[in-house]
Amino acid sequence: MLDTQVKNELMTIVDTGRYLDRPEELACYAYDAFVVEALPDAVIFPETTQEVSDIVKIASRYKVPVTCRGAGTSVCGAPIPLRHGIVICFSKMDKIIDVNTRDRYIIVQPGVVNVDVQKALAPFGFFYPPDPGSMNTATIGGNMAMNAGGPRCLKYGVTIDYVLGMEVVLASGDIIRFGSKNIKDVTGYKLSSLFCGSEGTLGIITEAILKVRPLPETVKTLMVTFDDLDNTAKAVTDIIGSGIIPVAMELMDKLTLNTIEDVANLGLDREAQGSLLIEIDGVKEACEREMTLIIEKVKENGAIHVQEAKSEVERERLWTARRSAYGVFAKLAPDIVSEDVTVPVSKVPAMIRKIIEITEKYGLKVGVLAHAGDGNMHPMIPANKADKEEWQRVERAFDEIFQAAAALDGTLSGEHGIGLAKSDYLPLVMNKQTIDFMKKIKQAVDPDGILNPGKFV
Amino acid sequence: MKKKTPQNCGKCGLCLNVCPVYKVLKEEPASPRAKLQLIKAYENDTLSSSPLLKEIMSKCLMCGSCTTNCPSGIDHYSTFMEMRRKMVEDQGETPAIKSLTYLLAREYRLKFGAGLARTGQKFVPDLFARNYKLGNIPLKNFPTLNATPFRKAHDVIIHPDKKPVGKVVYFTGCATNYLYDDTGVATIGILKHMGYEILIPRDQTCCAIPLLFHGAADRASKNITTNINALKGHDVDAIIVDCSTCGEALTNEYPRFIEQQGQNPSEANAIAEKVMNILSFIDQQFDRLEFDPNITEKLSVTYHAPCHTKNNFNAHIIVERLIERLPFVDYKRAVDADECCGGGGTFFYEYPEVSKKMVDKKIENAKAVNASQWLTDCPVCRMNLAGNLDTDDPLKVLHPVTLIYSALKDI
Repeated sequence: MLDTQVKNELMTIVDTGRYLDRPEELACYAYDAFVVEALPDAVIFPETTQEVSDIVKIASRYKVPVTCRGAGTSVCGAPIPLRHGIVICFSKMDKIIDVNTRDRYIIVQPGVVNVDVQKALAPFGFFYPPDPGSMNTATIGGNMAMNAGGPRCLKYGVTIDYVLGMEVVLASGDIIRFGSKNIKDVTGYKLSSLFCGSEGTLGIITEAILKVRPLPETVKTLMVTFDDLDNTAKAVTDIIGSGIIPVAMELMDKLTLNTIEDVANLGLDREAQGSLLIEIDGVKEACEREMTLIIEKVKENGAIHVQEAKSEVERERLWTARRSAYGVFAKLAPDIVSEDVTVPVSKVPAMIRKIIEITEKYGLKVGVLAHAGDGNMHPMIPANKADKEEWQRVERAFDEIFQAAAALDGTLSGEHGIGLAKSDYLPLVMNKQTIDFMKKIKQAVDPDGILNPGKFV
Repeated sequence: MKKKTPQNCGKCGLCLNVCPVYKVLKEEPASPRAKLQLIKAYENDTLSSSPLLKEIMSKCLMCGSCTTNCPSGIDHYSTFMEMRRKMVEDQGETPAIKSLTYLLAREYRLKFGAGLARTGQKFVPDLFARNYKLGNIPLKNFPTLNATPFRKAHDVIIHPDKKPVGKVVYFTGCATNYLYDDTGVATIGILKHMGYEILIPRDQTCCAIPLLFHGAADRASKNITTNINALKGHDVDAIIVDCSTCGEALTNEYPRFIEQQGQNPSEANAIAEKVMNILSFIDQQFDRLEFDPNITEKLSVTYHAPCHTKNNFNAHIIVERLIERLPFVDYKRAVDADECCGGGGTFFYEYPEVSKKMVDKKIENAKAVNASQWLTDCPVCRMNLAGNLDTDDPLKVLHPVTLIYSALKDI
């Protein structure tokens, strides 16, 4: 419970309906899709930047931790209020402020759901490329704080590549604005790079100007299966190596395909050892040429079945299958850990071999899933956290997976973020001076450490 | 006794954007994910029963969209139903809901209640009816009760005018019996036209879904037994329902309930296998319909897919296809045709502020397509949609069977 004085002051900013602190309500803000949970003392729903600023000023004065949350779909524990305090939930600060496709931008509040941005743009023939698996639920504020990616980021880049400008509330309660409506803007530091991906540790995003793109003329989607997982991975390396950049290239292994098929009944090939869901887009003629080349490359690597989606319905089915992977794995055990180590694309076959070797060594089940075109792995391990012995094996396996990725010039996280899941592993990919430099930045902007404390800095 | 929920929720949150209540409230406790978390905490004794916990559990339309869309295959629907029962056991029920379940638990009470209410409706002063609301619906917009209950007004066995092609049982549900006899009249009219002999068992009663939603398992048990006895053992082609919620109860809940009671579910299973939504039945035998050739003008029609049609029978696609096939219809789909209207059994009464937002959006989008008829195959949806339109609104809400029946050729 917050101190009565603090609560009373906060209640002057929002009405009763936007302040929750009964145990049943707090229990609903203790989790995201990661395995660690912690209860907040209060949950507050601002609707304007000024309200956020006023809330943070109070928190700053009383040194109460503040953790921000959108829809709570993070898979690394980023919105978990580890040190309790206030959760600022942005779900009700959800207005689309301006859609301007002539100048190619959209201005939104942080609580707008990713898919609603797409819906607002589609009638104008535009889209916003970052497409995390949770895009139907996840908010733009959360996407930005985590610098979210998604399958089509292979071609289009991740969230940070689409941020033109931001409004941020600092730990002091001060409101700052930077960037602009311009595609080109080198005025001052590129502060968006500082806040986008800061996981709520440096400031609170209250508004964003995002770059948008015209929808491509043609989209082609291909499902390819292999009788060997290693060949599947080599096909990825070959395609990217030949200079083609597909929109997405999703790799799924046999266990993943079968687990999805058990639930969704989509007619996936249960016998295949590996599969690739490949999508390309652009001008029709270019797509056709690229498609021919891709088919050549997969056949060279021993593809046994190549099938093009013939309709939008069929395409949607394939993507539904891919997007449901995390959910279907969740039902295999009480808990699921999905990490997102990333390696240069030429190292994808080696990394997959490592993942299989390590999980076999620890006697664990693993689903190998990857945004393979950009080397972004998603090994998913279903396990029971209550089973201490098994959980230890899970932790050891991930230790080794992180080490293996680092040894292959890879990195800890391609798109999920560090959160609570990977903070211990930072030294694997960063030297002490770099970690100290991040700490200095944190110290400078949030001297009392009230913003999302207990996380990676 | 607390029974463990053996299902694994990965907390992915994909249920949030399919939950109509979450989409309006934008608060986690409204979400299916949160409800599962709270149930887990309650079962592990880390969270005790409370009026607030009960309220969170009740603030749910029981639409089943989370169950349909969950990638982990969790059966939220049954889990929530069971938790609601426990909450009523722990916390009791509000007087209004208590009297509803009391009423629905016995056919004679229902009959008596309907008679009283009908008399009451006549005596409600106009001024009072104009100004007061029940839930989100103004009193004046409630349907008037049937002059005579539908089943009382019709024979037990109805013969077609021609040589029968088959035989069906008709489970009318309470709504057709007491509120919307036009649905019943149209259903038997169409079935007769198609050449079916119709059996309407006298001793059927409320399907018990409202009782199960409100945790009145004991009362539900009696209704379920009564209905199984009324429906079993008939040598018929199908057991026809005109309401998807009744259909869902007969298909899924009855066998499950009987099994939970430790009894043999074979009778319930045999019934479940024969249950069919009237609209799917018509769709399958569309060629048996002959339409009045004098109807030359096309009627513009839109459709609202009830959640229980969508999530239990997955039949909204069939219904839309059927509507499109009607030669006298120009079907205009509303953008949110398959979104929940906020009716949800008694939800519109318990949470009018949430329900109102949903229904207003539905009305806005239905009006945008400029249709004159708004079809829906659930009596609660119909009551909610019609109840929130002005009485003199040109848009009329009815069951698809009424429209189909009105266009049939006399034979």
